[in-house]
Parts: sequence; C-alpha cells; structure tokens
Amino acid sequence: MERKREVMVGFVVVLGLAVAVVGSMWLRDGFNRGQTRLQTAATSVGALVPGALVKFRGVTVGRVESIAVLPSGEAVMVDMRIRPELVIPANAGVLLAPESMFGEWQAEILDRTEFGLPPFLDYPQEGVLPGAALPDFSRLTATFDQIARNLTTISDRVEVAFTEETALNLKGVIDNMSVVSDLLSEIIEQQSQRFETLADGVDESAQELGDAARAARLSFERFDSLLTGAGVEQMFADAGESLSNLRNITGDVGSTMTDLREAAQRVDATFERMETVLTALEDPEGSLGRLLGDPAFAEGALGALNEFRGLLADIQRNPGRYLRFSVFE
Amino acid sequence: MFELLLRPFAAVGNLTLAGLGTMGRAWTLFSGAAASVRNTDIWTPHLVPQMARIGVASVPIALFIATFTGIVMSLQASYTLTGAIPLYFVGTLVGKTMILELGPVLTGLILAGRVGANISAELGTMRVTEQVDALETLAYDPLAYLVVPRVLAGVLMFPIVVLLAISIGILAGWFTALQLLEMSSSEFVKGLRLYFAPWDVWFAAIKSVSFGAVVTGSGCFYGLHTEGGAEGVGASTTRAVVVACMIIVCLDAFWAAVLL
Repeated sequence: MERKREVMVGFVVVLGLAVAVVGSMWLRDGFNRGQTRLQTAATSVGALVPGALVKFRGVTVGRVESIAVLPSGEAVMVDMRIRPELVIPANAGVLLAPESMFGEWQAEILDRTEFGLPPFLDYPQEGVLPGAALPDFSRLTATFDQIARNLTTISDRVEVAFTEETALNLKGVIDNMSVVSDLLSEIIEQQSQRFETLADGVDESAQELGDAARAARLSFERFDSLLTGAGVEQMFADAGESLSNLRNITGDVGSTMTDLREAAQRVDATFERMETVLTALEDPEGSLGRLLGDPAFAEGALGALNEFRGLLADIQRNPGRYLRFSVFE
Repeated sequence: MFELLLRPFAAVGNLTLAGLGTMGRAWTLFSGAAASVRNTDIWTPHLVPQMARIGVASVPIALFIATFTGIVMSLQASYTLTGAIPLYFVGTLVGKTMILELGPVLTGLILAGRVGANISAELGTMRVTEQVDALETLAYDPLAYLVVPRVLAGVLMFPIVVLLAISIGILAGWFTALQLLEMSSSEFVKGLRLYFAPWDVWFAAIKSVSFGAVVTGSGCFYGLHTEGGAEGVGASTTRAVVVACMIIVCLDAFWAAVLL
C-alpha cells in the first residue's frame, strides 16, 4: 500500500512537471527550434516580444529569442533562432512590423534590394543584419490620444479664460463688428454705384468702338474692292511712269546741282577776290585806301580818269595817231 | 444610554483584539512549525501519504473543474470575439486565462474546500478528542507530526495539480474549438502561442505554492484551535475554508501586482 502510494505520488509529480516543461517548450518554439542564431539591430522594435515569429517570404522560419537594448542606447539588438537550412540573402535586412491589426508583431527577413523602405540601421558589427521597425496602429492611436488630451487641455483653458469680463468684451467686439459691418455695407453700396456708372461708360465706349469697327470694316471692304478692281494695273503703270520721270528729274537736278556747285565755286573765288579788294581798300597805305580816304587823291584820280576817258575818245576818233598795224613785220 | 454609545467601540475593540489574537496564535503555530521542520524523523514518514491525500487525490476533481472551465472559456471567448476580431484569439484567451488566472485560482479554491476542510476537520477532531494533548503529553512534537507534513505536501503538490489542471483546461478548450467552433488546430495553436511567455507558467506555479501553503496552513490552524465538540469542529472547518478562500483571492491580486 505504501509502495503504491509512493508510485502514485511520483507519477503525478513527474507527469505535472513534464506537462509544464514540455508544454512550455511546445508553446514557445513548437518543437521547431532553429539552430542558427541570427541577430539584427534596429533603432526600435515596436511591440515585438520574445517568442514572436520570424518569417522569410511569408513562411515561419523561427522565433525571436531575446530583445535587449544595447548599453550605449543607440540600438536594440534582437536575437533570433531560425532553421539551419535557410539561406539568407546577401543583402538581407529584418523588418519588424505588425503581423496583423491586433498587436502581434513579427520579424521578417527580406532582401533589401527588393524592399527599399524603410531606412534600415546598419549596425557596425559582423553578422548583425540591418533592421527597421514600422510604426504600428497603436502608435497612431496613441497619437490620437495625445491630440485628444491636448484638445481637452485647450478646452479647459478656454473654460478658465472665458469669464464674465471676457463675455462682455466679446459682446463689445460683436457690437463693433456690427458697426464695421454697416460701414462696410455702405462703402460697398457706394462702390457698387460707381461701378454701375463705370459700367455705363464702358458700355458707351464699347458701342463707339463697335461703330468705329464697323466703319473700319467698311473702309477695308472698299479698299479690298479697290484692290481687286482693273484700275489697279493702270495705277501701277502710272506710278511706274511717275517714278521714271522722277528719276529723270533727279538726274537733271543732279546736273543742275553740279552747275550750281561750279557757280558756287566761282562765286566763292569772286568773293575771295572781293575780299582781297576790300582788304586793299581798308589798307590806308594802299592806293585804293588813299583814294577812298584822301579827297585830294580821289579828285586827282578822278581827273586822271577824265583825262584817260578823253584819251580813249581821241584814240577812237584818230586810231592812226596812236596805233600802227603791219601784217608782215 | 451610555452603554449603548460604548457598544460600537467595544465591538471594534473585540474585533481588533480577536484579530491580533488570531495573528499571534498563527505566528506561534507557524513559527513553531518552521522550527519543527528540523525534526525530520517525525514528519518525513508522513510526507508522502499527505502528498497522496492532498495532491494525488485532488487531481480528479481539479481536472474535472479545469476541463469544464476550458470548455466554457472557449465557447464564451468565441461568443465574445464574434465580428472583427479573428477567431484564433480564442486560443489566446483560453491559454492566457487558464495559465494566469483560472487554473491556479479555481484549483486553489476547489482544494481549499476539499483539502482545507479535510485537514481542519481531522485536526479539529483530534483536538476535541484530546489526541493532540496526548501527543504533547508523550513529548511528541504535534507540529512536526501534524502540521509540517501537511503544509509541505500542500506546497509541493498544489503546483503539480495546478499545472495538470491548466494543461487539461487548455486541451479541453482546444477540443471544444475544433468540435464546436469550426476552428482549425493551427488557428487555435496560433492564438495559443501568440502571447505565450514561459514566465506565465512560473507565475502560475508561484501562486500555486502560496495557495497550497494557505489552504493547508489554514486547515491546520483552525483545526488545532478547535474548541468544543462536533459543533466546534464544524465551525472550525467552515472558518478554515472561508478564510483560505479569502486569502487566496487576496494573494491572487497581490501576486498579479507584484509579479506581472
């Protein structure tokens, strides 16, 4: 009896402990405990917990073993156990993300060349895969919660600030707003009247412009009909003849201008000579100067001139007395 | 009139003195029992029989309760999680609840009734029939003979019974999910593993150890302090069970606050 009791107690104790140990192992690793240790480092792990699934291309290949913040505080190191036969891609990274909307997270091994985002943390240690964590729904709800708290704070402050004095001030502001509104409506009415006047002027101008446009159109039509008529060729012929005449006139004017230039040169030479004469006249020591300036000399010259005129008359009357022609000398 | 005014104060004073007296007697008993542990030649022969009585004999009732708890948990979880929440959370709910709360506490309460009442009635009868006095007269340490093996048996066997109850409860919930909820095994196991942490099992075991000590200690204390005849035995038995249940619930909250 004693022996049987001992066996029973021993059996129950062993059974209970075995159930606890084996059950815990099974629930944790599912007896598929990977032998290959894999590490990743990320700035945050979100809601990842030890025991979370490790997946590769959607297939569960292991579980998260442990999670620890590095002593430097710069990253979180995640230890994983995965199946030993799994070949990790050369450019592999580990994405920590929610498995569903209900809070459970997973670590997914992926090829970073196929999945560019988000920025992975390249931890400078051999064998540590770059890791990154995606924000989850709980963070969004936490953010909304924070926003709600802030709104509550604001509403509390508004409630504190909104005293009777504030209400009176607000009433005054509303009254002022009413006055300003009346003024604004009056100004708007005036402006609207001005705009109406302006619109009338614009309308009148538009009508005038329309008349002008109609007149211009009529002129253009006439001009068009003129251009399309038979008299145009005659007009061009006359114009050509006129141009020819004009060219001839231009040639005549050119020759006339040459003659005028020569006449001007002669006039210029005459004026030079006259200037010489005038210079000589202005010289009091010269003959002409003395003639003009000295009355006696002028009278003498006048007398000589009379005598010379008488001599010429005598020569005309008696040329043989003074001149002798010989053909053969 | 004056006496009427003093009556509430007298009641409070009596309760306080009674509480302090109980605490003092409990301290005397358990400190004496702790001191009696060194008398191994007295209590070791009785340890295995007590483990069989307290632990092995309690397994069927514990498993029975756990089985139906698991079934009810699975059904009620599926009823609650109808809609947007995936059904695999039935596994999560059954597993977490059975491991952390229902397994240890329900088993503790059931064993408080079965084991605590048994010990209290046995020791109370021994007390009122002066068998305990006879042991003292023979210079036989009654604490080493009566208290130590029972409390040690409770401390050792309660976790075993609770772990078995938890396992059976989860299996029952799993079976119910497969048969009645149109869930697959993979779904249930996924939910079961989702938030499982080995610490949960340790938490249940630690709670169970404390529950075992409370249930057996309460039975021993009220049994050894039984007064009167059969009526006194009944009263002490009732008191042992009620107090054990109250302490279990308080300890449950205490461990949850301290360990989780």
